[in-house]
Amino acid sequence: MSDTVTKAAGEALLRIENGCFAYKSGPQILKDINIELAPGEILAVLGPNGAGKTTLLRCMMDMLHWQSGRSLLDGEDIRGIPASRLWRRMAYVPQARTAAVSYTAFQTVLLGRSSRIGAFSAPSEEDMKIAERVMERLGIAHLADKPCHAISGGELQMVLIARAMAAEPEILVLDEPESNLDFKNQLIVLDAMTALAAEGVACIFNTHYPAHALQRAGKSLMLSKDGRSVFGNTTEVVTEENIRRAFGVDALIGEVETPRSVMKNVVAVGISEEGGTHQQAHRKGPVLASVTVIMQSNEHASLVNKAFREFNHLLIGRMGLPHRRSEKYIITVMLEGPESEIEALSHRLGLIPDISVKTTYE
Amino acid sequence: MSLRRDGRLGAAWIVILIVLPFIAALISLGIGRMSIAPGEVIDVLRAALSGKHASSELIEKTVLQLRLPRIILATLVGAGLSVSGCAFQSLFANPLATPDTLGVASGSAFGAALGILLGFDLIGIQILGLAMGGAAVALTWLSGSGKDRGGLSYIVLSGIMIGSLFSALISFIKFAADEEQQLPAITYWLMGGLDKANYRTLALGAPVIIAGVLVFVLIRWRMNLLPLSDDEAKASGVNVRLLRGVTIVAATAVTASCVSMCGQVGWVGLLIPHMCRMIFGNNHLSIVPASVSFGAVFMIIVDTMARSISAAEIPVSILTAIIGAPFFIVLMRRSGGWRI
Repeated sequence: MSDTVTKAAGEALLRIENGCFAYKSGPQILKDINIELAPGEILAVLGPNGAGKTTLLRCMMDMLHWQSGRSLLDGEDIRGIPASRLWRRMAYVPQARTAAVSYTAFQTVLLGRSSRIGAFSAPSEEDMKIAERVMERLGIAHLADKPCHAISGGELQMVLIARAMAAEPEILVLDEPESNLDFKNQLIVLDAMTALAAEGVACIFNTHYPAHALQRAGKSLMLSKDGRSVFGNTTEVVTEENIRRAFGVDALIGEVETPRSVMKNVVAVGISEEGGTHQQAHRKGPVLASVTVIMQSNEHASLVNKAFREFNHLLIGRMGLPHRRSEKYIITVMLEGPESEIEALSHRLGLIPDISVKTTYE
Repeated sequence: MSLRRDGRLGAAWIVILIVLPFIAALISLGIGRMSIAPGEVIDVLRAALSGKHASSELIEKTVLQLRLPRIILATLVGAGLSVSGCAFQSLFANPLATPDTLGVASGSAFGAALGILLGFDLIGIQILGLAMGGAAVALTWLSGSGKDRGGLSYIVLSGIMIGSLFSALISFIKFAADEEQQLPAITYWLMGGLDKANYRTLALGAPVIIAGVLVFVLIRWRMNLLPLSDDEAKASGVNVRLLRGVTIVAATAVTASCVSMCGQVGWVGLLIPHMCRMIFGNNHLSIVPASVSFGAVFMIIVDTMARSISAAEIPVSILTAIIGAPFFIVLMRRSGGWRI
């Protein structure tokens, strides 16, 4: 039966339908939340303090119960899924500061295998190999024997991500993974998330940084304090208009050109006053543009092709060149269409790891 | 004897942890008012095991009827209290937690004092102690748990309240007791002592302690989930409410059983688990068996001293603190810091 439900839901792995929540005798903080997430997608949850970002994640995972509405995993209501089965498919990464106990990093990662280890058993050789492999993949194998109180906040966050990944989940839920971290550690954590998504893991993360949503997430959900929310493709959700409405801040979204790519960034200009307008207007009507992509390897070629296929209707020309000597790939596409759609495609490409993207408009 | 990465004990440690309590018990059997050589002790034990009588009836009686039940009790109490303390420290993620955190020891002591006041025999005192220990924890649980309240920290707070309530009740019983006979008996009993050990009280108390300790040994890897925050614990996919419930029930049964047999023995439940954490880290795969073994050894040593240092029996709680505190401080300074 669940098969037919899955088909009806399209390829969504995780969905929230009309989620509503209020704490006892408090105001409605979450109203009619609707999201869907496919394998390999990253969803950023944005919103001011107190808008209910963490509450949303907790409701979604059934740690709190929705007042109305539901979360669906493959079309099946999460409340009906036994914990041991649910937590093999979904894993939770808490904020690094909540880890109070001091096991060694390796033992912490092994705890991620709990749902697969019987009450009277200890981790098997295979469990340990998986833990070791996950730590290696995330580049923290050298921390294995260090106690968790003796490593840095960034390292601890990586250990917690490794613990979650040790469960071999399809969905990773991260609660403000990059808060309280310095620039470099933020990048390490976000890169790890991007790499996991490229391997097909669906990721949901709470963040205080709209820029991180723009740079990493294909989809975004923006919550306001009044309970309203916007969900959709990040380029359509994280806009100056929506940021002003949700955060009460005048922000400018701009592009920073790096040698490799063009990155979107958000600068908070000031606290907004009513009626202030900074419209970032798209030109009306179709425009011509070219998008050039250089891939470091063909590892993620399928993701690139998938993005092009999705925007096939804009395509007026395409040129691809494998550069044999360096084993790199250069692709240029010529496009014609609304500026917003072209922007959406180049944003989408920019989320893929090890890729350089530049877009030139007429 | 380096520590293994997965938290399991190495072969050398396993041998030490198993053999050490037996060696301690064997030596302790020979120590006392009457000194008995280890060879003779072994002869007596061998004879008893094969159903024969040893050459000397006096030695046989001393070893089998006086010292052996007492050493068995010391082993059980030491192992039980220290593993319960270890479990509670992890459950409440608090290094100061002891088996008495939920008020069980105060409850049991109240029950026993009440039993003495009412003139019960040893078995009656023991049963009343067990029941009151359970009642104290149930009361703590009822007043501390509930929907949407801060979880375990409320339970710890109500444990302190219920504990002090029962302490007050004990004082009231002392106040009401007859000064000539009952008051000294209650006071002496509360200080803790294993001198009341006999096979009849053991038959009632030992199975409870053994079962509780066995539960902890069996679920020791899963106990690693105990200190996690609520959300993390839920996300482990394991039924953590059940795990916490089992931990509380087992630790309560063990502690109530210990206190109802030998009074309030302080310190063991705090000292031994921390000693194990200093040596082995925090992984329960190793610290649970280590707490069982070291707790037993420590209690055998302390009780042997209690009955052999002076002509009069020294209350065991006095010795656990006098030996335990300096030992603990030395160990703490040597190890240069550890964390729960």
